[in-house]
Amino acid sequence: MTLDLKIIAGRFLLVFLWALVWEWTARTGALPPAFIGQPSIFLTKFFEHLVDGSFISASLITLEAVAVAFTVGALLALLTALVMTVLPILEKLFSPIIDALNALPRVALIPLFILWFGLGLIQKVASGVSIMYFILLSYTMAGAKSVDPDHLLLARSLGLSRSEIFLKIIIPSAVPAIFAGLRLGLIYTVLGVITAELIAGGKGIGTLVSYYSNTFDPNGVFATLIMLIIITSSLTAIMSRIEASVSKWRTPLNQE
Amino acid sequence: MPIDNLQSTTTDPPSGIHINSLSHEFGRNESRVLALDNITLDIAEGEFVSLVGASGCGKTTLLDIMSGLLAPQSGTVLLGDTEPLAGRQDTARMFARDALLPWLTAAQNIGFSLATRNVIKEHREEMIMQLLREVQLEEFADAYPAQLSQGMRQRVALARTFSLKSKFVLLDEPFGALDAMTKINLQDQLVALWEGTSSTTVVLVTHDLGEAVALSDRIFVLSSRPGKIIANIPISLPRPRNVKELQSLPKYHELVASLWEKLSQ
Ligand SMILES: Nc1ncnc2c1ncn2[C@@H]1O[C@H](COP(=O)(O)OP(=O)(O)OP(=O)(O)O)[C@@H](O)[C@H]1O
Ligand SMILES: [Mg+2]
Repeated sequence: MTLDLKIIAGRFLLVFLWALVWEWTARTGALPPAFIGQPSIFLTKFFEHLVDGSFISASLITLEAVAVAFTVGALLALLTALVMTVLPILEKLFSPIIDALNALPRVALIPLFILWFGLGLIQKVASGVSIMYFILLSYTMAGAKSVDPDHLLLARSLGLSRSEIFLKIIIPSAVPAIFAGLRLGLIYTVLGVITAELIAGGKGIGTLVSYYSNTFDPNGVFATLIMLIIITSSLTAIMSRIEASVSKWRTPLNQE
Repeated sequence: MPIDNLQSTTTDPPSGIHINSLSHEFGRNESRVLALDNITLDIAEGEFVSLVGASGCGKTTLLDIMSGLLAPQSGTVLLGDTEPLAGRQDTARMFARDALLPWLTAAQNIGFSLATRNVIKEHREEMIMQLLREVQLEEFADAYPAQLSQGMRQRVALARTFSLKSKFVLLDEPFGALDAMTKINLQDQLVALWEGTSSTTVVLVTHDLGEAVALSDRIFVLSSRPGKIIANIPISLPRPRNVKELQSLPKYHELVASLWEKLSQ
């Protein structure tokens, strides 16, 4: 407990020292502040935009796309994994195609998405889904295959049917991997949506970043990035909470 | 309870376990491995037998065939009057590693197996607690496997196996990875669980010769690959047995020593 507190204090100290060096570098002009920004200025800017609501409304617009992309991507991936686990022939057929698609840089598709879906919400969702889907699919498939062979033998020796083995052994075995996929997928969905906003404009956080970069305002960029970090870390924290409550059985009593 | 094995072979209708000229091979062509070579053995109903032999001699393969997890390639195998079949209500198998489902508590793990048998739901709860009491794990009914020590997990697995109240119990190195003290405790719990049933036939695979002598009515010694039965040794220690007390009995140590000799021939 006290160790945890010390480590948290240590982390804050590190960030603080880093900011101090940064501030000093900017003030003395060791590196030009017009390029590297200045912590005291972008922090003030961050709080200003937080208070005047502009960061909040931009975040909500981004989060809307993230929520839709995450949900749609997750459902599609879980459905695909279900079908491929039940019918292994489909997995054999599709897995090279899926691997090939997954190797594509999705950023390259964004102009196409804009062409197909316009500049609004849907192209951002498409960008997010195109990332989320593949991440969760590969995690879920790996999870379904990570079943302990002893558990399968046990199930067979008890005379469980194929569908019972699927429901009672394979799905629970895949749960940890599914959650790992959801957690990682969420972060990458945010990245996908932000990238779409950087390219297509609109009103989200990504648009703010590109606006500030284009107007040569590093302090504006950093202020927005702070907002982005807060969003992604809160999302990860929420996911970890849910994950921990679902997989109590993975933590031995004396830990946690 | 143990039955004198000499009388066991001519009973009809067949009870116990009867294996005739069983051979089993893995792989194809050049990579073929003969795992079991012409195994013939008879185990009486209610008998406790052990299979000992070098690593890789086919003990697990033999249990897999008796559990119906592997189909015999040549020869015949009978459990009672029928061939083995995975999911047979009268057969219970325990695996070398505990094979507890990590997302279920100790009690739920036992319940998972019990649910596959015809036990009225109201009775299950009671049976589970009774079994956990017998392996001294009552307070851990709601603990997950990750919260239990290896020895405790083996005890849950043992309780789970006996919860099925099967006529044929097939155990694959149930106490393989345990220290000597824990092992003796668990062996006594196994003896108690078995002695508490009537006419349960147990086949125990083990590397531990002391364990084989302490628990069995009879020991089959398998040669190293391919597995052949090279000896069939009756153990005439009195029942009921207490494994802890056996440790100070000269007869017990003589039997272990002679088994050693058979194995190293
Ligand atoms: N699924 C399999 N495919 C191919 N060969 C196998 C398979 N299972 C077992 N074998 C081979 O059959 C032989 C007997 O294996 P088995 O697991 O029955 O031995 P064992 O007596 O249980 O050994 P141990 O004491 O180490 O558990 C070994 O040589 C092994 O390599
Ligand atoms: Mg084995």
